[in-house]
Amino acid sequence: MSDKADVWQGTLALMVLKTLETLGPLHGYGIARRIEQTSAHHLALNYGTLYPALLKLEQEGYIASEWGVSENNRKAKFYRLTRAGRKQLEKEAREWERTTAILARFLTPGEEAP
Amino acid sequence: MRSLRAVLLRLAGSFGAARHDREIAAELESHLQLHIDDHVRAGMTPDEARRTAILALGGVVQTTERYRDRRGLPFFDALRQDLVYAVRVLRRNPGFTATAVITFALGIGANSAIFSIVNAILLRPLPLADPSQLVMIFATEARRSLQFDGVSYPAFIDWQEQNRSFESMAAFANQSLPLGTGDEVVAARGKVVTANLFDVVGVQPAIGRAFREWRLQSADVVVLSDGFWKRHFGGSPAAIGQTVRIDERPHTIVGVMPSRFTLDGDSEDFFQPLGVDANRNRGFLRTVGRLRRGVTLEQARDDLSTITRRLERLYPDSHAGVGANLVPMADAVARRVRMGLLTIMSVVGVVLLIACANVASLMLARGATRQQELALRAALGAGRFRLVRQLLTESAVIAAAGGILGLLVAHWTASALAAAVADQFRVPGIESVRTDGMVLLFTLCVSAAAGLGFGIAPAFACLSTDPSERLREASRSATGRRAPRARRGLVIAETALALALLVGGGTLLRTFLKLRATPPGFNSASLIKADLSLPLPSFLQLDTRVGFYRAALQRARALPGVRAAAFVSILPLNNRNNTESFHIVGKPDPSPTRGFNAVFNIASAGYFKMMGIPIRTGREVEERDAAGAPDVAVINEAAARAFWPGESPLGRQIVLPINDEASQTLTVVGVVGDVRQASLGILPRPEIVVSPMQSRLRGNSITIVAQTAGAPQALTGSLRAAVHSANPLVPISRIATVDDVVSNSIVEPRLYATLLGAFALLALVLASVGLYGLIAYSVSQRRHEFGVRVALGAAQSTIMRLVVGEGLYLAAAGVGIGLVVAVAATRLLVGLVVGVEPKDPVTFAAVTFVLVAAAMLASYIPARRAARIDPIVALRDE
Repeated sequence: MSDKADVWQGTLALMVLKTLETLGPLHGYGIARRIEQTSAHHLALNYGTLYPALLKLEQEGYIASEWGVSENNRKAKFYRLTRAGRKQLEKEAREWERTTAILARFLTPGEEAP
Repeated sequence: MRSLRAVLLRLAGSFGAARHDREIAAELESHLQLHIDDHVRAGMTPDEARRTAILALGGVVQTTERYRDRRGLPFFDALRQDLVYAVRVLRRNPGFTATAVITFALGIGANSAIFSIVNAILLRPLPLADPSQLVMIFATEARRSLQFDGVSYPAFIDWQEQNRSFESMAAFANQSLPLGTGDEVVAARGKVVTANLFDVVGVQPAIGRAFREWRLQSADVVVLSDGFWKRHFGGSPAAIGQTVRIDERPHTIVGVMPSRFTLDGDSEDFFQPLGVDANRNRGFLRTVGRLRRGVTLEQARDDLSTITRRLERLYPDSHAGVGANLVPMADAVARRVRMGLLTIMSVVGVVLLIACANVASLMLARGATRQQELALRAALGAGRFRLVRQLLTESAVIAAAGGILGLLVAHWTASALAAAVADQFRVPGIESVRTDGMVLLFTLCVSAAAGLGFGIAPAFACLSTDPSERLREASRSATGRRAPRARRGLVIAETALALALLVGGGTLLRTFLKLRATPPGFNSASLIKADLSLPLPSFLQLDTRVGFYRAALQRARALPGVRAAAFVSILPLNNRNNTESFHIVGKPDPSPTRGFNAVFNIASAGYFKMMGIPIRTGREVEERDAAGAPDVAVINEAAARAFWPGESPLGRQIVLPINDEASQTLTVVGVVGDVRQASLGILPRPEIVVSPMQSRLRGNSITIVAQTAGAPQALTGSLRAAVHSANPLVPISRIATVDDVVSNSIVEPRLYATLLGAFALLALVLASVGLYGLIAYSVSQRRHEFGVRVALGAAQSTIMRLVVGEGLYLAAAGVGIGLVVAVAATRLLVGLVVGVEPKDPVTFAAVTFVLVAAAMLASYIPARRAARIDPIVALRDE
């Protein structure tokens, strides 16, 4: 069994949004690579799962896409964050932080609530 | 909202699949290229790089599939596939599809057409405020078994003041009076109403005001209907304040009701305030009440029956046996046609059942021939649910096509049907029959339910066995198999239902024919009649009336083409009920409070001869029975039997009370033959006829009848002119030939017989088609067996007998069940048309014969085909 964690849908969307915010317009392959690198290869990303997730975000209006040319002159579809996507990213990031903070309190031993 | 946007985009994504597929393919290819470039840079061979890249992606096909699922809605995609496939399959079998769609369209069309009439008449709300709270209250009288009688003014006041269930209560009565505007006098239909009536029904005049005081003495004001106002005042608001003459007395117009306002479905011309009438015996008022919130009809019934019991104790003379009958306003208005409509509605429901059975049977037959296809699809991995869904989609497509076609049929037939009967059935709503949202909804629901109904059983039946067995079986030729039990059951049920409908239609047809053949007791040929409305104030005096009668008769008889003319107040078959109470000199009254009862009619000299009514003994009314001469009466045979059984009525005297003080003594001078007074289906009642020159009964409607040498219609204009020249103030409400009066009197039985008969024939055709389909299928399945039989020497007639025998066996089973159903069903028709005889053996025998003949024909055609099977060809097919 691999010790890499699987990526689940909700967090994948958040990672995609954050990636696009940080790096600006990017193609699917670039997003996938970036996610792998950022997680320091702790995540086993099945690249195939990325495309339905991108489609979903596009259908929801958080990202938009257009065809362009990559750095090494390959035709590729580039995704960029929309204004709604930026807002959604802020919101989800906040929620995620709150969730992890709560979980962290549960998991940290010895510290009783005052 | 984000998710709604996504759903809509996905819905849109279900279309244009090819373009989307190209797009994702290009995107994945670019993804792989980028990945490969990276790997190659890292030192891999291109082949190895590609393989690794594909692995990391998780497979191109798999990714595309996942992407597609996200792009469209998977359920919707499958539905679209099913639909496309269903349409393709159905188009490949045009014979099957056409039969199924047309069968279903006929069933749906009949239902939607009748439903649009039911919807317009029974379901659409009345043009009154909150009509569901309105209740009509009729008086009942147990002794005369009256259910819809009127109530007297004092009793109405008692109801109104003592009840606890109604917010408010109003009363009204119909009256047809001569109404004069300017120089013109017309016979107008009006209502006298209590002043609060418009408040109770919640509709106020569109212009002007309603009546002010409650319980005022009959004031000289009038509210006009919208129609009358537009016809006679051109819709001018200046009409308010003008005067019209009602019964010659001037009345001021104070208001005009909104268009479409009608109280109980009559097309009223005017409304007048009702005066006080202290007579408890004069039950002439209809009552309408508005229920208090939260009070049920049952509670209101109990409440009123307490009051009527109290009144019975207080006024035994006038209130003995009088109760109250509460009917929701909408039902009361449509009372006459409600039962007929509901009967026809259930009949078309049965027709639809038969149609569905037919289509289901067709689907089963086709399912059997598609076993191999279905088995193959199952073997290739289609789930059972997916296959059922596919088959159901096919029935849904058939149902949708049939439903649309049926709706078109209904759209055209319903309004035509309504227009054809609107004259005879003056029911509110009949003029507004149309295909509205309710009809669309009804058609949609019925089509969907029927589509599911005829689709679901065949769909599951096709899948009942496991695929491997079906594949094996289908590859063998089916030998000697009969039609499956389910189809045989369906055909038997269809036959039974068709038989029941045929018996119903046949019974009504017989009733109608019997009615039409009933001798009415008079000869209607060459007669024309005009109904007149006498303005009472100047016609109160007998002299005035006699003067008018003489003048009118003289002018009518002088018309070219007129052989004879006479006045009568109740022409036969006119459905009016003018009974009066009287005493017989020398006989005790039947009860201390009431005298004898008979229909009182008026007829001038020569009436009976002209009408061809035979004189049994004595004489009829003659010219010498004028004012001043001894008062005479002519009675009919029913009266002679009822009042003087076994004795001669000639010379006997009766006493007719005119009002509280005066009475009139009449001497019987003759007995004439009976005529059907109310309708052909109702036996003659005792009748006493008085000369119009001597009658002191007050009535304002009278009819002049003329016998013509040629066609009576030709006299319409000149008869009108003759009456007008005799007295321009007497309006004519209606002119018609007496032949028309006779045929109009049986228009209802005729309509019901026609409708039910037509639908029963439709049912017969559908059931025959069903039987034919089954037998033809069975023959095609048994080709091999028949081939073997012929090869072994069976004669053609043997084969034919075998096939026709199967059809007759099924038909016989259906007839057996159908007869039992029919016995119960025809009993329901008794209340619909007067004179229906349930369990009429002639009808049952005739219908059974027709059905068996149809079954013979339906199985003969496939039987002939079976008999002509060439054994060599049939066996080579193996």
